[in-house]
Amino acid sequence: MPDLIDGTENVSVHGILNWILLLIIFSIITVIGNYLGYKHPMTDSLIGMAILSLITLAGVWMERELPLNVSSILYISVIGIILAFPGMPTSEFVLKYVSQVELLSIVTVFLAYVGIGMGKSWDEFKALGWRAIVITILVIAATYYGAAIVAHIVLVLTGVPAA
Amino acid sequence: MIFIPDRGDDGQVEHIYREKTDRRILKKNPWRDIRLHGTVLVLVIIAELIGTITIPITKDVAITIMPLIYTIILGLAFYLIKPIKWIHRRQARIAEGAMMLFIGVLIAKLAISSGQSIGLIFEMGPALILQELGHLATILVLPIALLLGFKKEAIGMTNSIGREPNVAVVVDKYGFNSPESRGVFAIFIIGTVIGTIFISFLVTFSLSFLPLHPYAFAMASGVGSASMNAAAIGPTLAAFPGLETQIEAFAGFSNLLSFCVGIYIVIFIALPLTEKIYNWLEPKIGKEAIVKAQEEEE
Repeated sequence: MPDLIDGTENVSVHGILNWILLLIIFSIITVIGNYLGYKHPMTDSLIGMAILSLITLAGVWMERELPLNVSSILYISVIGIILAFPGMPTSEFVLKYVSQVELLSIVTVFLAYVGIGMGKSWDEFKALGWRAIVITILVIAATYYGAAIVAHIVLVLTGVPAA
Repeated sequence: MIFIPDRGDDGQVEHIYREKTDRRILKKNPWRDIRLHGTVLVLVIIAELIGTITIPITKDVAITIMPLIYTIILGLAFYLIKPIKWIHRRQARIAEGAMMLFIGVLIAKLAISSGQSIGLIFEMGPALILQELGHLATILVLPIALLLGFKKEAIGMTNSIGREPNVAVVVDKYGFNSPESRGVFAIFIIGTVIGTIFISFLVTFSLSFLPLHPYAFAMASGVGSASMNAAAIGPTLAAFPGLETQIEAFAGFSNLLSFCVGIYIVIFIALPLTEKIYNWLEPKIGKEAIVKAQEEEE
């Protein structure tokens, strides 16, 4: 798996421009899917995608520029939570437009890229043999059921009604 | 990578996501690849036009197949099918790099749902935190790995779900060429190829047959991989209409916890525990090693 580890490269203006253009392409495809699947007005969902893209951009930039050794996922999550926090002046605006973008519309586009990208691992995948596939399937199932069952028990014990 | 303690010897493993993304995105003007983005657009249009298909199995049980399944399977098929000439390794590499950036948009959307329901998240704090310990259930697979003939690979394979942060932890602890690292790499590659598709069917199936709390399904979908999280949320949202914001909030927050708390659970609990159980169990049920045979197959 040498592909996992690469040399380092620093962020440049050129890089940021690439990110912005990629996010614009991603937004346009998502908005089209969002319109076809859920009939949300395109302008509103385009503004929603612009907000999400800006948060992403900020997070990705902070990961590379700030001295903390923290993943962009954490920065993006914190920015998103703060912007939507009840009582924040931004929350009404952000929620109005971001709610026009269905999570599943984003996921559908995202997974199309994942599907194409994972084709690259196909040969390595085939070389691994059925035993490793069995173990992987069991490990994923165990992670999911382990979490689901513990969560269920705690929710029932703390008396959370099933909505 | 999130908060991986620097152990000094293998420093470059820390930033798998970041370096991969940067390398792909900085070098190749990825936005220019019309073949890739055009294909994705066509896949998305096809998927949304087909829409969600519900297959009733019994009166109360139904399997739902959602557009996200079509795009991932068609995407993989487009890469693998020979007559399609415009999707090659190059496109796959760009897709992989771009994907690392697009994870951010997904996370941002989930974070906004979390922010909106922050009160609810604090209320459900105990369940959210404790379910992270549920991920330790992967260690239950260790005996099966031993029975199938894995040796020390089994430690790398069954200590966690084997996504990027877990790969980094195992490589960091055992070294790049150790059997433990081979094991976690195997899980990583197989998980990359089939994990997303498998979990979406697993969740669809479980929603029909397991009478668990809707929030439990939401929290469980945060397994610590953005694409698997995404694939697991889809059917969960469809199964509980009216709870969209809560499900997104719990799923997103739990995935975030898996990334930042989960890594410590792996370092301090899961790995040492897997090792202990391995040392105790291996002499009892270990089979003849199959790794040599496997290498010959390759």
